[in-house]
Amino acid sequence: MKRTYLAKHKTFFSPGNFSWGVCALAFSILIFVLRFFAPNLFWKAFTPVFRASDSFAVKSHSFVSSFGNAEMLSAKNEQLTEENVALANENQMLLQKEGSVSEDTPGISADVVARPPESPYDSLVLAAGSDIGVTLGMEAFDENGVPIGIVSSVLADFSRVTLFSAPGTTTNGWIGNANIPITIFGAGGGAMNAAMSRSADIAVGDTIFVSGPGELPIGRIVRIDGSASSPSVTLRIMPDANLFSTVWVSLRDTGASSFVSATTTQL
Amino acid sequence: MMRGTLTFLAFISVILFPWPLTAVLVLVSSLSVPLLPFAIGIFADTIYYAPQTATLPLATILGALTTFVAFFVRSRLRASSIGE
Repeated sequence: MKRTYLAKHKTFFSPGNFSWGVCALAFSILIFVLRFFAPNLFWKAFTPVFRASDSFAVKSHSFVSSFGNAEMLSAKNEQLTEENVALANENQMLLQKEGSVSEDTPGISADVVARPPESPYDSLVLAAGSDIGVTLGMEAFDENGVPIGIVSSVLADFSRVTLFSAPGTTTNGWIGNANIPITIFGAGGGAMNAAMSRSADIAVGDTIFVSGPGELPIGRIVRIDGSASSPSVTLRIMPDANLFSTVWVSLRDTGASSFVSATTTQL
Repeated sequence: MMRGTLTFLAFISVILFPWPLTAVLVLVSSLSVPLLPFAIGIFADTIYYAPQTATLPLATILGALTTFVAFFVRSRLRASSIGE
């Protein structure tokens, strides 16, 4: 007669099976403790890792691209050679101007250490902190001067920017040429939403502005959702800045934090 | 060896790859290393979690849930004739 054998209590926590899991958990807890008690040291230790990750991403992109069509690659190679010459000239020019960069760029320039999409949360970690004058509430601008978020926590050498697209973040702004006031809600993944009356004269492609030194465009309407019977519509907004490839940002004290609801806590 | 490689890859992917890829990798690995989702959740939140962007550390919570499910599935498989 066949006997049923239940090995439940033997298998649920069998030590031989999850030793790698225990090691992984211990490592994670160790890293967590390091970050909790010495956040500045933690980010100093991890910055080179993120730099290596960025460099790897660039190299792997080039490698994958190299498997394309040979003719196309040849044409692209020629084009890149020409661009390379142009860039070399531009580089020379920029090197000459290097000394005066800090005077030319308003605010504080900061390297981006961590960004979406590796991060599941809409935030940037910057390699600039209170030691060089970063303060809570400063507004972050991308390379093209597009506002992207607000500094929400600061350490001695690092700071964190909460992006306008972070869920739970609300920003006051304006829309279109008529400057209709709207409240912009972060939708995560770099996107933003806003609600608006159907009767307002709004169309896909209209620009969204926020306050700063004057009115600054932060994104465009890419879709308008809403049923025909509803008096209001939902505007889907994509930012003008490419948050996934932002390499550096400039931080300025524009007083914009009063227009954004974001709490400030430890990094 | 396989478990070690999966564990190492999962940690690396948190820093190197977009988070959906990490999630898939951890889900696949969870059957052989059930504690890995929880560990990776803590690791990801340690690096990326900002209280301003989310009320709860979602990666840790989802990792813990996945670990629980993985342990449950494994215990069921072992107890049945499939696992013998």
